[in-house]
Amino acid sequence: MDAAVLAIWVLRLLFLALLYGFLWLVVRALVRDLRAAAREPTAELGRLVVTASPSGEPPAGVSFALDAITSLGRDVNNSIVLEDEFVSATHAALTYRGRAWYVEDLGSTNGTFVNGGQVDGLSPLAFGDEVQIGQVRLRLERARP
Amino acid sequence: MTAAPAAGRLRRVGREVRRIRIRPRFRGRELTLLVFVSFALVVGDVSLGATRLLKAAQEAGERVPSDLVVLAAPAVLATYIAGLFIVHAALVLAGRRTDQILLPTMGLLAGIGLLLMIRLPQDLAGRLGGLAQTQLLWLVIGLAIVAGLAVAVRNDVWLRRYKYTWAAVGVALLLATFVFGRDINGARLSVTIGPFSGQPSELLKVILVVFLAGYLSENRPLLVEESTRLGPFRLPPLPYLAPMVAMWAIALGIVIVQRDLGAALLFFAVFLLLLYVSTARFSFVVLGLVAFVLGAGLLYFVFDHVRTRIDIWVDPFADPNGAGYQVVQALHAFARGGLIGTGLGAGLPSIAGRPPIPALHTDFPFAALGEELGLVGILAVLGLYLVLVERGLRIASAAQDEFRAILAAGLSLVIGVQAFIIAAGNLKLIPLTGITLPFVSYGGSSLLANSVIVGLLIALSERTREPLPPPRRPGRLRRLLDRGAA
Repeated sequence: MDAAVLAIWVLRLLFLALLYGFLWLVVRALVRDLRAAAREPTAELGRLVVTASPSGEPPAGVSFALDAITSLGRDVNNSIVLEDEFVSATHAALTYRGRAWYVEDLGSTNGTFVNGGQVDGLSPLAFGDEVQIGQVRLRLERARP
Repeated sequence: MTAAPAAGRLRRVGREVRRIRIRPRFRGRELTLLVFVSFALVVGDVSLGATRLLKAAQEAGERVPSDLVVLAAPAVLATYIAGLFIVHAALVLAGRRTDQILLPTMGLLAGIGLLLMIRLPQDLAGRLGGLAQTQLLWLVIGLAIVAGLAVAVRNDVWLRRYKYTWAAVGVALLLATFVFGRDINGARLSVTIGPFSGQPSELLKVILVVFLAGYLSENRPLLVEESTRLGPFRLPPLPYLAPMVAMWAIALGIVIVQRDLGAALLFFAVFLLLLYVSTARFSFVVLGLVAFVLGAGLLYFVFDHVRTRIDIWVDPFADPNGAGYQVVQALHAFARGGLIGTGLGAGLPSIAGRPPIPALHTDFPFAALGEELGLVGILAVLGLYLVLVERGLRIASAAQDEFRAILAAGLSLVIGVQAFIIAAGNLKLIPLTGITLPFVSYGGSSLLANSVIVGLLIALSERTREPLPPPRRPGRLRRLLDRGAA
């Protein structure tokens, strides 16, 4: 009788201990995950991926990490240089203000387009939006975690 | 000469058929955790079986049998554990780099629920057969849904593009419940079609999150803008407040027509949380809470069923054998459980063949766990929900774009808020509302809806980068069809 009661006590406590054992394993895994994520530098605020570039410079598929202010154009002093004959020297600028991205046309000859519509002045840009500058098409994406 | 005409020519460049190569990928962490979960569940089952045997022997006045190691319902448990490993195998074969913690955590929670169903009187399920068998059937279907979604959902276009269609489906479900629903215990929740009955509001919570994710990710810049001022509050442009008001109205409508306080509370809480997640504006939350308090106050004075719930919450002992009966019994159950509980199967013997709480298997599983596993046990269960929420938010923070981020956050918050509402209701921290404890409560609709959530979360957690379709561009249906063909 006593042995049976004792055995059941042990089983009960073992079950509770196993629940916490599981939690411990999981939390350890979660902490490792978070540490690994924290080690990676995530200074970038977003990425710009080239989706189409007929002149080949930069080639399609390349992605750029973005700072708070990124200028785009044909001039070599831009953050991202676009070698395309329809791109102006200082064509457009991407800026990160508050919590959102904006695109601004800097008086270019051919204009700047977001998802097919022409931008005049400052225009908000969401992740996934496509910007067309000259013949180059670029897509704004989240920073890599 | 603008760039736009060139677009027609250039659009063809990026369009190539992407083939998905499938190569099995070992999921070591998931396997370890699943083995651990299986061991814990077997131990729990042996503990339940041994306790039952001992109690039966004591009641009969016989000697205690020497061989106490007996499983309570070996076939049910074995089927369930096999199901878990089959899902694991499916995920390994699919070879995606997805989350490895969600499945074991869900598996342990549902396993604890299954042990509870094995332990309770089997005739609670009604006409469908034994409680444990029915729960097992739904769990197996749920696991199949998890596996199916986690393996097959590679693209979220079908979710993000048709958000208004999803919203329409949700409203249609709601209306169907209003019109065709049957009243059970004063609440009009379930719809019966042929031999099946279900609670559409369970599925509605998933649809709501999908719609909100689509709406908020698209209109976030507009919502953050400040153009209207109302006293100290800065509000977004008025037209963009309309969905917010509509949500508030829908929540109130659910309370008034469906008499389902729990679902209304869940929807509104998730809506406010997502609004905060996507805009980081605390003023929205304050405004929502003010609207909630006003609405709740109004309902308290106008509707009897709301007033009853609040009155029970304020003082359940005013009518301990009538209106407050369930809540009083739940409190007693927690008290009997104490620190480490009475042990599985050793809770209060049923009174005249019935458990002391009528809706123990659906609305009060938390009280039952509190009695048999004690404070230590229910803290562990709450910890498991916390893990699910943490995983979901982590997936959200690593997501590639806003839609996925808000979707993942919303899905995991649905589980977390649900667990909070019913656990707090059982503990008399907030007025009790009839809502299920995710994965633990008995009930097909709830299990299926929560399985959809976990399946989607696992699918969303994939770490390889899939190029996103740029939104708001013509010719998207064409590309969707191309993708479908690939």
